[in-house]
Amino acid sequence: MTMKKLFCVLMTLAMLLGVSACNGSPKQEEEQAVEEGFVPSLDTASECSINVAGGYDNFEALEAEFDRFNEFYPNVELKFTKVDDYNNMIGTVLNGNDAPDIYVNYSWMFGRDQYKSSIDHAQDLSDPALRLDLDCIRSNIILNTGDGTLPMIPVFSNTYGMLVNNDLFEKEGLAVPTTYQELTDVCKALKEKGYENPLMGFSKEETTSIFTLTVYPYFCSLVADDAEAVKKLNSFDPSAGEYLRPALEKMVQLLNECGVDLEKCNEISNNYDAVILRFFEGDVPMMTCSGDTVSGTKKRESRSEAFIAHPFAYSFVPVPMSEEGANFLDMPNLQFSVNKESKNIEMADEFMLFLVSSEELGLMAQNKGLMSPTKDLSFNSMYAAFGSVPEDRILSPEVIGLTDDAVKQLRQAAYAVGTGSMSIDEAVAAYGTLGQ
Amino acid sequence: MKKRSIIMINVIIVVAILVFVALYSRTENKLSYEKQIENFENTTITMGTVTENYLDGEQRICDIWAQYINSEGLTMEEAVSFIRASHVLANTSAHLVLADSLSGLSTRPKQSTSKDYAVSYAHIGLLENVDWIDEVGKSINITRAYTNPMNGEQSLAFCNKVRLKDTESGDFSEAILLRVVPIWELEQKWVFPQVEFEDAVLSMIDGNGDYILKGSSFKNSSFFEFYKSYNATDPASSKELFEKITSSSGSITMLDSHGQECILAHTPVLNTAGWTLLGFVPAKDLNAGTENWLLVIVVSAGLLILFLCDLFYMLNLNKRLQITAREANSANKAKTDFLSTMSHDIRTPMNAIIGLTTIAEKNLGDVDSTRESLRKISLASNHLLTLINDILDISKVESGKLKLSPMTFSIVETVENLVNISQPMVKEKNIDFSFHIDKMKNEYLYTDQLRLNQIYINILSNAVKYTQPGGKVSVTLREEESPKPGCTRLVYIVADTGIGMSEEFMKTMYQPFSRQIDSRVNSIQGTGLGLAITKQMVELIGGTIDCESQLGKGTTFTVALDIPLAENQRGDMKLGPIDVLIVDDDEIMLQTAVDALESLGASCRQAESGKEALDLIAQKRLSGKDYDVIIIDWKMPEMDGVETIKQIRSEVGSSIPILLISAYDWSDIEEQAKEAGANGFVSKPLFRSTLYNRISDLIGRETPQEPEDDYSDLQGMNILVAEDNDINWEIISTMLSMFKISSERAENGRICVEKMQKAKQGSYQLIFMDIQMPEMNGLDATRAIRKLEDPWASSIPIIAMTADAFSENVTECLNAGMNGHIAKPIDIKVVIKEIRRIKEGRI
Repeated sequence: MTMKKLFCVLMTLAMLLGVSACNGSPKQEEEQAVEEGFVPSLDTASECSINVAGGYDNFEALEAEFDRFNEFYPNVELKFTKVDDYNNMIGTVLNGNDAPDIYVNYSWMFGRDQYKSSIDHAQDLSDPALRLDLDCIRSNIILNTGDGTLPMIPVFSNTYGMLVNNDLFEKEGLAVPTTYQELTDVCKALKEKGYENPLMGFSKEETTSIFTLTVYPYFCSLVADDAEAVKKLNSFDPSAGEYLRPALEKMVQLLNECGVDLEKCNEISNNYDAVILRFFEGDVPMMTCSGDTVSGTKKRESRSEAFIAHPFAYSFVPVPMSEEGANFLDMPNLQFSVNKESKNIEMADEFMLFLVSSEELGLMAQNKGLMSPTKDLSFNSMYAAFGSVPEDRILSPEVIGLTDDAVKQLRQAAYAVGTGSMSIDEAVAAYGTLGQ
Repeated sequence: MKKRSIIMINVIIVVAILVFVALYSRTENKLSYEKQIENFENTTITMGTVTENYLDGEQRICDIWAQYINSEGLTMEEAVSFIRASHVLANTSAHLVLADSLSGLSTRPKQSTSKDYAVSYAHIGLLENVDWIDEVGKSINITRAYTNPMNGEQSLAFCNKVRLKDTESGDFSEAILLRVVPIWELEQKWVFPQVEFEDAVLSMIDGNGDYILKGSSFKNSSFFEFYKSYNATDPASSKELFEKITSSSGSITMLDSHGQECILAHTPVLNTAGWTLLGFVPAKDLNAGTENWLLVIVVSAGLLILFLCDLFYMLNLNKRLQITAREANSANKAKTDFLSTMSHDIRTPMNAIIGLTTIAEKNLGDVDSTRESLRKISLASNHLLTLINDILDISKVESGKLKLSPMTFSIVETVENLVNISQPMVKEKNIDFSFHIDKMKNEYLYTDQLRLNQIYINILSNAVKYTQPGGKVSVTLREEESPKPGCTRLVYIVADTGIGMSEEFMKTMYQPFSRQIDSRVNSIQGTGLGLAITKQMVELIGGTIDCESQLGKGTTFTVALDIPLAENQRGDMKLGPIDVLIVDDDEIMLQTAVDALESLGASCRQAESGKEALDLIAQKRLSGKDYDVIIIDWKMPEMDGVETIKQIRSEVGSSIPILLISAYDWSDIEEQAKEAGANGFVSKPLFRSTLYNRISDLIGRETPQEPEDDYSDLQGMNILVAEDNDINWEIISTMLSMFKISSERAENGRICVEKMQKAKQGSYQLIFMDIQMPEMNGLDATRAIRKLEDPWASSIPIIAMTADAFSENVTECLNAGMNGHIAKPIDIKVVIKEIRRIKEGRI
């Protein structure tokens, strides 16, 4: 009997070993699942090096995609190289010995001679042979070149809004505002509850200042359907300044009604770290910022002693500047181009094929903390509020057709009015000449 | 319980060995791994030294340029010209930028231009603060990797502060001299020599953890951020770890961006700058564990196989032990049964011997009673002797010690002996006995005669014993062709009309001590060993034994033996052209005799009765001739052999030699037959040689014939008897004296030899030699005698007379130089036969 038991035990062990040998590992199953989305079209044993150039000091989110791509092509070495003074240097780099295979590009570079090299080196990514899933990207942030070519593909998008301290709102029994009236009411209520600065924002420079962040989406909503206005604004027609007036007035109204303390805002030294760390102090219910700034929040949680001591939940929501609700200003952020002179262009295209999908772009955006350029915004709860904005309130400067120079005039005007260096009338009259 | 314990101990030992091997392997692996880590650390340190030397060399060049510029008070243009002139390497360049504007001149033109040497660091973010640049010659002042504004290449710059003379004002302005080197120049020097470090990468970080140079496996812009992103840590621990990394050489284990365990070796380079060189390699590349696990697996499999083999071997061994134990128990029981049976079977005749001896002693005056007692004692003694012989035989058979002692012998003698032995009982029980031989062509065969006799006698004696008085026993012996080369097949068939055997008993009849349970059997003396011995001996000779029997109807045993032919056959038997009349009512017998006689050259006539014989003799006489020899069977219906002889003699006189044939002992009719005119007797079966000898005697061809009761030829013989036992000496000497043979005693072998040395030629005609004697045994004595110088003494016939009765003992005696063997207890008939054989020179 004992012998039988022992024999049974040994046989069972042998069978278990056999069964375990037959079972696929979880990793294999995982790989199989991934393979369902992306199927390599090149020899997976290919060995080459792909260099992606950009201006970021740090691009962990992209490096995570490198790792995921390496699961299919383990012998492809991918690296990200920071190019100093990127906007000015990318042309030189592209013409030099260290020319990257993929590089960061921007819509605003298109059509400007200064950045001609950056556009000229870009492969046409609309080529059907590349099989890129462009449909997964929101069409209003895809560059419209007019000739049907596509030198760059957005990998992140940007928008303007405000960080909201959800725990604070909950604590005070307030709801996050979705209309202008609600916003002013919330500000008053918060004031009454002892919050000195219900709404803050960066105000030292015109770029992504509280003024721009509040006025730009509203302004776009005013001119979005007025082609003549856009035309005049783009051509710096002296009369176009009037189109700015209602937006500027609304901005001033907001600053007043919400009791924005510009002196306090001026204490925020930059539009990135300082904005985030100030918000993490926990006493600011609402802090205007861009999506770029939002992307840095996660990392800075550990750098804020106040936040470490009293962590709270927060989210990024659009600033409601009208009674109808908030506008979602949808702008491309970082875009990728493939260097058409790349020695490894096939593998560079293969990487783009891998990257341009709802899943990969969503993951990369989530890792970076930026908004995904894809139609599906469900990947990152931080931007959930933008996903619920009605389609008719989603505005894209690309679609509206406002040039960067026109927008810059708006920013200048808003900054001048906001900081009190100009009156609204002066700013309207100076349209086209602001900043000169 | 014991089996379980042994298995548990085995399992524990196997597990213990496996654990030991696994631990040992793990320890070895760990040591090897640690050694590899140490090796990697040392390699990283070496790379640090190489890096340091390279950087130092590059800095020295920059220092020389700066010293020259400062000492000569050069303007920017002059300085650039000087450096351009002293450039050796095509890949390097130098930039001179004013500290205030961060713009200046490059020694090489801007990319894609030939004359544009203007360079600006205003947007690079590298030279806003130049406090880190030490005085010329004091330290290595190196930038992080940055984008060369002239050609876009990722580069490093070795820096020095210089003072440049303003062309117009003549004032000196502070400027920065940068010797710009592409980073691939340095990366080329970062090649790990070892194969196992193939996937290792290097990075160089500054005191804040920011990369100066960044290897592909490193992530983030800061190593510390990279570490914190993929490794669980708290601020205090990470701070301590980073201090350790930036201040000492060594290594740590950390996870990379894939969650893979890696080794990070760190060594400070350029202490003055607070930089650290980091070597990064996947831990699996340093871990040779796979081979060790293979060892563990191989050892495990080996032990498992060994364990299973041992287990099955143990099981098999146990099974065999159990069988052996059962057999031992069975043997023990058999031994007990045997001893019990023996005790009974020996005590029974012993009881008769002792009891009858007592009766005889008390009735010494009553001659008839004493004779009857002695007769019964003799019967009991013979039975006891048979029993002892059988017991010895069966014990030898069962112990496997029974061996054949083949020798050349005459089958005729064997059959004669067989008939003779069976005759008393046949006669006593008035059994109709017949013995037929058929196609017996070869007289001399080569096998163990004793064992063959034993087989034949056992079967025949059983047939006679278990056949009721008046029953019939017929024996047939014939030769057949043997499939074995050089052999003839002897088929011996004994059929009786006896009590027969049940089918149940036949299944066990060859087992020792098995006797049929039958009241009739119980009344017959028997040991129950005969058939067992017979069967074993038949098998030993390589033959077969078959039995057919029906209870109450009789039994037929058939023994077939393939026996080698002797080399020399008697080939000179020719009687010449004589006429022989043979008379027998048995047709088979007639045909056998005719065949034999015709093969001897005689012409035969057959008669199936005495009357027919008389007619044939008369007819022959009418033709003017007589038969040369007439052979008549004794037992015939109507007119028996004796009566027929009388008639022949009365009709044709005594001129024709007549032989009387009988399958029985003719002693009872000898007188009567001789009176009737018989010239001689011949026993059935009629062998060629028997017929030849008898007929030759009758027609004048002399052949030696043993006298029946005439022992006069033995008178005056003197025999030396070597015998240490007084009683045995007394028996043999008394028996010999009964035949008027004198004897002398030698008490042991030595004395026997001495007597032979001293004896005169012819003093003794024969020596009876006991074997087991003090001082010198019979074998040694025989050997000594055979070595004597006197030819007579050394060639004197020596017959062993010993209780060592086995065939190998006989062989041993013959090998020692003896001429024959008589087993004790002695049969005086056998003794006389042997003496005659010796005397007649048939040695």
